[in-house]
This record gives sequence, C-alpha cells and structure tokens, in this order.
Amino acid sequence: MHDVLIAIAKWLEATPWGSMTREWTYAYPFVQLTHFTGLSIWLGTNFALDLRLLGLGKRRATAAELARELFVWNWIAFCIVLAGGFMLFSGLATTFIGNIAFQWKLGLFVPVALIWHIVVQRKAREWGLTKETPGIAKFAAITEILLWICVITAAVEIPNH
Amino acid sequence: MWEALEQMGWVKTLGSTGWMYASVAVTHYLTMFWFIGSIAIVDLRVMGVAARNRDVKELAQQLFPWAWIGFTLAVISGFLMFATDAGDWAPDDIFHYKLALIAVAVLFAIIVQRGARKWAQTPATPASAKIIAAISLLLWISTILCSSEIPAMRGLG
Repeated sequence: MHDVLIAIAKWLEATPWGSMTREWTYAYPFVQLTHFTGLSIWLGTNFALDLRLLGLGKRRATAAELARELFVWNWIAFCIVLAGGFMLFSGLATTFIGNIAFQWKLGLFVPVALIWHIVVQRKAREWGLTKETPGIAKFAAITEILLWICVITAAVEIPNH
Repeated sequence: MWEALEQMGWVKTLGSTGWMYASVAVTHYLTMFWFIGSIAIVDLRVMGVAARNRDVKELAQQLFPWAWIGFTLAVISGFLMFATDAGDWAPDDIFHYKLALIAVAVLFAIIVQRGARKWAQTPATPASAKIIAAISLLLWISTILCSSEIPAMRGLG
C-alpha cells in the first residue's frame, strides 16, 4: 500500500501540472488562491446551514430551505477546493504523504468531516422543516463545525512537521 | 515602532509558543473562509447565479451578521499574527496592497448589504447591482491572492 502511494506521488510530481506548481513561483499563489476561494464558499455554505440548525442568527428561512438553496454552490465550491488541493498536492506529493499533519488531515479529518457533512446536509431536509430544530440536529451541526476546525488545524500544522 | 510591538512580552510569548500561534492562525483561516464565503454567497445571489428562490434581502440578513462577526475575528487574529513579525510585515508592499484591497472590499460589502434591501423590491435585480456584487467578489478573491503572494514572494507568514 505504502509503495503504491509513493509511486503515485512520484508520478504526480513529474506531471506537467505537478512540476508547474512546484517550480514556477507565479503558479503557486494562483493554485493556493483556487483552493482558498473554494474553501471560503465551501465553509461559508456549510456554516450557514450548521448555524441555522443550531438555531443561531436570523431564523426566517428554515434549515431545510437553506440546505436546498445552498446545495448547488456548496458542491461547486467543493469541486474548486478539490481541484486546487489536487494541484497543490501534485507539486510536492512525496513530501506531503510523509508529513504527519497531512496524514491526519487527509487520512482522517477530511473523510470524516466530509461524510458527516453529507449526512447533515441530507438530514437537514427533515430536521429543518420546522422553525425549531431537534436536539440531534444541534449536536450534528456543532460536531460538523468542530470537524472542520480539526481539518484546518491539521492543515496549519503541515509546515511545522 | 513596529519592532517595539514585536518585542513586547506577550507578543514574544505568542510568537514563540507553538500552540498559541497555531490557535491564532487557525482562527484567522477559519474566520477568513467563513466571512468571505458568507459575503460571496450574497454576491452570487445578487448576480443571479445562487439561491435564486431566496429573497436577496432575506439572504443578506441571514449571512451578513455572520460575515461581520467572522471579519472582526479575522482582523483580531490577523493583527496578532502581524504583531509577532511586525518589523518584517509593516514595510512589505504586497501586505500594503492586501490591506488596501480589504478596505475597498469592506466598502463594497457595506454597499451590497445596504443595497440588498432596495434590490429585493424590484422583480429583476438592476444591472448596476450585479456589477457591484461582481466587483465585491473579485475584491475578496484579490485579497486572498495577495495573502498567497506574500509567502511565495517574501517567505513571510
């Protein structure tokens, strides 16, 4: 398994986009820009729903309505995050897979947070039908926020390891 | 002046204590994504490409309070990060561009927030509103670009 990962990482670094993000000083900020712009809309839409499920802020729209209205841009943003992240990863793939903070980020926190998010988004259609949301919805929402904080913490720690 | 800030006791503690600096950095990234995302959704709604079944005014009222809370936290955590290396940050021209862009972007965000009330009353959003929203979105993206340029060009941050 590990050998396969190393082989894939080496191949990614040798791809044209991999060497471009690594070697061309001007490319890197634009790739990071893509990742960060996507993340802004991704987390903005996620938190808007989570905070509504928690019953915080303006409550004119129900959580079910917000989940439906923000769905499209939530997943457009995810694709942008993924594209930018893939490019960033390709540039220094062998370094990243050997980095303990990156391993926590992509090996644990991102998959768990992502699956949790999909469940919350789906369940919001029933939890969010009424103005008041059930206790389970509040628990799920606060957990999702904490999971994304774990993801960002692991990401911030990458350069330190 | 900036070196003096950098040399203050609490600033040195913050800069040299791993978990403290990391917490501030996490706060900065988290609140930055959160507030830019919240404003971007309203901008996209005004432009007519997102959440079209929700009233512009209602969506703005839902998201702008969060945006300003996030913005305030991002400014505070950003200042703390700046303080730990103030002597190097203060004279950096890309950092100056970033601050100037943020100032203009905040101005546009306020225009969008106030405009949302008016624009919700007409059946079609005026073209001028769409242009303002597009500029707002571009300005925030530019601030992210400046932020990414600083580490790439200067090794700062």
